[in-house]
Amino acid sequence: MNTAQLEARQVSKIFGVLPVLRCIDLRVNRGEGALIVGRNGSGKSTLMRILAGLSRPSSGQALLFGEPAHSLGPQQRCRISLVSHRSFLYPRLTARENLEFYARLYRVTDYQYVVEKLLDRVGLGSFADEPVFAFSRGMEQRLTIARSMMTEPEVLVMDEPFAALDAEGIDIAAELVRDALQRGCAVVMTAHDPHQLRHLAFISYSLENGRLVMAHFGSDSEGRKPRPAAAG
Amino acid sequence: MSSFATILHKDLRLELRGGQSTITLNILSLLILTVLTFALDAPSRSSLLAAGALWVAMIFAGLAGATQAMVSEWENECIRCLLLSPADRGAIYAAKLVASFIFMTVAQITSLFLMVFFFDLNFDMRIVRLAPVLMMGAMGFASLTTLLAAIQAQIKTGELLLPLLTVPVFIPALISGVKATQAALAGLPFAGFAQWLKILGACDLLFLAGGYLLFEQVVSED
Amino acid sequence: MKNRAGQNSIGPNWASWFGLLTVLLVSWALFMVFVYVPTEAEQGIVQRIFYFHVPCAWVAFAAFGLVAIAGFFYLRFGQKIWDDLARAAAETGMLFCSLVLITGSLWARPIWGTWWTWDSRLTTTLVLWLLYAAYLMLRAMAEELPQVGRLAAVVGIVAAADIPVIVISVRLWRTIHPAVIITRQGRHGLEDPRMIATLLVAFAAVTVLWIWLLMLRFSILRTARRLTELGGGLAELRARLSEQEPKRGRQILDLQSR
Repeated sequence: MNTAQLEARQVSKIFGVLPVLRCIDLRVNRGEGALIVGRNGSGKSTLMRILAGLSRPSSGQALLFGEPAHSLGPQQRCRISLVSHRSFLYPRLTARENLEFYARLYRVTDYQYVVEKLLDRVGLGSFADEPVFAFSRGMEQRLTIARSMMTEPEVLVMDEPFAALDAEGIDIAAELVRDALQRGCAVVMTAHDPHQLRHLAFISYSLENGRLVMAHFGSDSEGRKPRPAAAG
Repeated sequence: MSSFATILHKDLRLELRGGQSTITLNILSLLILTVLTFALDAPSRSSLLAAGALWVAMIFAGLAGATQAMVSEWENECIRCLLLSPADRGAIYAAKLVASFIFMTVAQITSLFLMVFFFDLNFDMRIVRLAPVLMMGAMGFASLTTLLAAIQAQIKTGELLLPLLTVPVFIPALISGVKATQAALAGLPFAGFAQWLKILGACDLLFLAGGYLLFEQVVSED
Repeated sequence: MKNRAGQNSIGPNWASWFGLLTVLLVSWALFMVFVYVPTEAEQGIVQRIFYFHVPCAWVAFAAFGLVAIAGFFYLRFGQKIWDDLARAAAETGMLFCSLVLITGSLWARPIWGTWWTWDSRLTTTLVLWLLYAAYLMLRAMAEELPQVGRLAAVVGIVAAADIPVIVISVRLWRTIHPAVIITRQGRHGLEDPRMIATLLVAFAAVTVLWIWLLMLRFSILRTARRLTELGGGLAELRARLSEQEPKRGRQILDLQSR
């Protein structure tokens, strides 16, 4: 079995005339994690959207389970989950209603139990019946992560999942990601600060000038950040 | 069919929670009918003018409603998540369409009563005979605006784009709808305005088919 | 797309030949309309506007058909060339549609005694004009969006599919109030074979004029698109060279123009 869960082959994306991504190659197998680090505007979000199948590459291929990501059938779409920089939550629905809506859409069996458990897990149990518009940015992000985990996806594409989270929130989220990895989920994630992820064994890449290069900044090799994250 | 029901249920719940579109639609209809009564110099018992006023109210209230229904979907880009979900594109379109049809129908019932009061008409069988005309009108309008509002939602400076796009395309349905309404109010039997109902039906089919087939092109990303 | 300029777009040669043909045909049509054809007995000199009015109406409809067809191909195959064609067709179609309304109005004033009447043809043309206006407004407002072509194509297709229903409904709408207008319009007074000949030449002239304008606009749009692409490629290449990677820069440039 040689097909990776998630694969990018020579993916390029051009917006108008600006090349945002150039010939990106990436493979993530079951139970593996890939971390992509880059500055703001480096094209991380674009890459995430392409990998999740929302957007089409200008050239090259993004594959999920060996099939083109943007034309997956409903069965396959059930197996992926995306955390985007937009929350995908309906502000006027409560936390629980949002999760239940997506759970039913994804045909999660026994969804009430799953939702309840996840809300407790991300520490929103006591806010379950509050509307999302009353949430702080960090609470919204916790809920977003809960939403992405609800379906027990086999591929998890996360764009800046730790943005706006406090230390506790990051720990919770990282734990959820670790559980997903152990389940055999393939995770690809972006971050502007790799140190938030030091306790996750991820293969690290950095996205610079639209190109993906291997990078080393795990817990052992501190400080080899490609560029300061604050720029741009 | 289950994703259709899920999305529809969510839209109706959002509506019941905020009640924005239905209340806005109803008040807007009231406002438009009031304005028209003044503008047309309070014409008493004129079923011709009443029919026109009813459709003006329906179109402008419907435009406002369609905009709001799509805004909720684009606010946090929820529509992208719907597209990623296993839900079929057709089901998403159908759910949004049925939701907006329901809101429009509610507003129409209000405008119908208001019309009867404002234009001093009588409640009788003629009003009942209007039901299929108005339902078909709302169906066509909802299926057209669901498609076109999705276009508008993506354009930041496009608040006024929806009427520009919708009204010219809706003109055949408007003509036949107004004509059928006039005929019904004048007490004609169905056979008397069957040709208008046929055109209205043709418009409904066209808008439905167009919306169903083209919705994906409108909502998908480049 | 490494070929020379002019090979993959409609180059200057094509356009100038077509331009010459247009000039000849339009001059011939002018001659026929103003010198050759006899003045119509009932309507007098004003009737001559009709020889341009009717061909313009045909072109306005044909252009909208092209907008929808090109839009369909764009949705189907995704090549920008279809999008450019649709845009050029819409812009030129708008021009001819406006001409129909203006010439019709000029003619209606002395003949019907009014600038505007809700005759079925006039109404249909007005609705067509509104559809064009909506289409072009959408393009103008959404110019920066990468998906503007797809959105416009959807509107173009829906609008074109709507035209038959518009024509039928407007016709029915007006026959409820039968007027002199319709009988008048029904009989165009083309008894004289010279009138028919003139109309045919005018048809050819206006059609060719439209195609010429369409080609010019289309090639401008194509050129503009390629210029931006080349500009982007150049900036890209410069960036790559400054990064000491000339080889990659070259590849990107190729990729861009694909």
